Amino acid sequence: MRFFNVLLLICVLQLSACGLESKHENKHGNSHQPIHFALSQAPLSLDPRVATDAASERVIRLIYQPLVDFDQHFKPSPKLATWQMLSATEYLITLKSPRAAFHNQLPLNATDVKATYDAITQLANSPLSAEYANIQNIVVHDQDRLTFHLKQPDPHFVAKLIIGIMPKPLLEQQHDFARYPVGSGPLAFVEKNNKLILRRVADGQIIALSEVKDPTVRVLKLLRGETDLLQGELPAELVKYLQTKSEVTVKTSVGMNYSYLGLNTQDPVLSKLKVRQAIAHAIDRPALIEKVMVNHTRIAGAILPPEHYAGNASLAAYDYNPALAQQLLREAGVSLPLKLVYKTSTDAQRVRIATILQAQMRPAGIALEIRSLDWGTFFEDVQHGNFQLYGLTWVGIKTPEIYAKAFNTNSVPPNGFNRGRFSDMKLDSLLAKEDWQGATQRIHEQLPYIPLWYEGQFAVLNKKISNYAPKPDGNWDDLATISAYAD
Amino acid sequence: MGIIQRLTSLFIVIFGVLLLTFLLIHLVPGDPVDVMLGESANMADRAALRADLGLNQPLIQQFGHYVAKLMQGDFGQSIHTQTPIVELIKARYPATVKLALLSLLIGIVIGVPLGVFAALKAGHWQDFVVTIVSVRLSAMPAFWLGPVLMLIFAVWLGWLPVSGMDTGTSIILPAITLGFGLSAILTRMTRTSLLEVLNDDYIRTARAKGLSERTVILRHALRAALLPIITIVGLQMGSLLAGTVITETIFSWDGIGRLLVESIEKRDYPVTQACVLIVALSYVLVNLLTDILYRLADPRVRHA
Repeated sequence: MRFFNVLLLICVLQLSACGLESKHENKHGNSHQPIHFALSQAPLSLDPRVATDAASERVIRLIYQPLVDFDQHFKPSPKLATWQMLSATEYLITLKSPRAAFHNQLPLNATDVKATYDAITQLANSPLSAEYANIQNIVVHDQDRLTFHLKQPDPHFVAKLIIGIMPKPLLEQQHDFARYPVGSGPLAFVEKNNKLILRRVADGQIIALSEVKDPTVRVLKLLRGETDLLQGELPAELVKYLQTKSEVTVKTSVGMNYSYLGLNTQDPVLSKLKVRQAIAHAIDRPALIEKVMVNHTRIAGAILPPEHYAGNASLAAYDYNPALAQQLLREAGVSLPLKLVYKTSTDAQRVRIATILQAQMRPAGIALEIRSLDWGTFFEDVQHGNFQLYGLTWVGIKTPEIYAKAFNTNSVPPNGFNRGRFSDMKLDSLLAKEDWQGATQRIHEQLPYIPLWYEGQFAVLNKKISNYAPKPDGNWDDLATISAYAD
Repeated sequence: MGIIQRLTSLFIVIFGVLLLTFLLIHLVPGDPVDVMLGESANMADRAALRADLGLNQPLIQQFGHYVAKLMQGDFGQSIHTQTPIVELIKARYPATVKLALLSLLIGIVIGVPLGVFAALKAGHWQDFVVTIVSVRLSAMPAFWLGPVLMLIFAVWLGWLPVSGMDTGTSIILPAITLGFGLSAILTRMTRTSLLEVLNDDYIRTARAKGLSERTVILRHALRAALLPIITIVGLQMGSLLAGTVITETIFSWDGIGRLLVESIEKRDYPVTQACVLIVALSYVLVNLLTDILYRLADPRVRHA
């Protein structure tokens, strides 16, 4: 009996603890409820030199400050600094004043900028080393000014000055930025255990980011009040369900992340333009968007959206026309049904889209075999050209250089992202001239990619949350301004 | 089998697991260098990183280095986060053990009494109901049962947290999710095992001696029926300690199962190897413990 009493007491204490919400007191002595943000994937590294995953990049934007950001037309705009092009290979950078110090109270100056960019080229495991290999040297003039000297002219160099600046003394000490980041951005790192805890510098507001893999569980946590905010990564039916719930607000916006089908143009069948056109006409994009995508998803024409300064709004979408697709396949000398293998990841939404594509292509005489592979295997196959068709999304692309990297004859991996081994002299010439209108038109005609859509962005908030809206590239910049009302 | 023989076989098993894991993970497509550097890195950077990670050495040499470091208690570092693997294991394994023990407890507390009850009521409607319930429970996958429990106990009733590890009560729902499945297996095993024993001569003798039914069941029948139950409990405990990936993922429970899957996705070879080693060790040790319990439960095994 005594044992059961003790057990009961433990249960009561545990249950009462359940209702307790930890509060963090800020430097102003005010107490804020932490704002909880549930993510499908936690950031892997908080070091700007090595991070490549979307979650890490989005958090890094908040912890560190870059020299340059992008305006609404995706042109470089001053963030921490302004710039002046002295010659084709020289850029003078002037840091703005006053500017925020690092979170460890050290002032940020030109030597930190130099140390950051030098560190990228010196780090063995930095995926960015090649991107910045064109920097010959960096000369610091004073606390506010420095000059980047390039080996070769690069008209897009300013758009590359987006790396978060790190403090030189810590770089010299080989500080572990991946786990203990120190930047000068609006959010400062507090701790990382099973959650990543950040503190807003301006008012001490605590923001807790936790990984919750399962989309249904993320929704349940939001409805239970355990999380205050979700963004993206939910199937359309769950978003529609949440739109019916009065206790949450669903905010949507257009997106700019480009989804496409990649084709292996060295494949004997897919090397024929008419076959590629047939596949483009065998997909009913509007139906797919309506059924499995969120609001504001737009049919895509090119990698960069029409509002981009290098965008092309005149590209007409390929309509769904199975009869025309069959005719094109026959004209290409293909015997029907044409059997193609489509590779995708194991992500449930990706597999669902693949299944719908399979059904849509059947009346066009295309028998699509779906192979769903774990990410490592799938991506290695894509990089090595071991595919006929695959589905992927370009996330956060801002500069038109992507066209050369994805389609230039010389950009086959590891020299670029031309995974489909596409080769077209006319396109190469247009890309060399940076004729973006001509290049995007040519890509649209030649179809090394079958364009699908720019997925709409959305965020779901508790009623107590305000000052947060989804952004076209899916960034989380509004965490710098988000506010929560007390319950 | 003597203790020395047991330990020898344990080492052989562990070495076999190490070798097999090492070879398999290197045969699987996907390269940690690709994952870390992406597509745009040039060949020189790739080669430099490959050399830095020791991946340019022959496989047998890599394996030799790995085993040599392991002998000194050094699991190495995560390729991706550069975190010492011992730290990762220390952070994750206790959570898995905690969840496994509570799940097992729930399974035993529900399963064994229900099994005894069903055996005693064999052929009656109560037996039928227990059988139906246990079949239903064993047929419920964690990815379905977990969210249903969350919906009922967290969202509707508001008694427990949906997921995470923030409070002491966070463990209840994942433990129930795992424990229900286990209890169903134990119910059926206990029922079957007890029914076999209840027809034996010595049970009839015990009853003829005038012992109470409670004494006959608890002291004579159940003890004899324990052997297959111990086997099942041992095997299930081994599985639970291996990390129940789906349950840990659904409930955001930072255990060894999730760590293993994440490391496989990222081709973080040293972490995968360490996780598999820990899982294998757990399995072997639990089996050893099961054998010891066998001896305690059944004198025939002890004297064999």
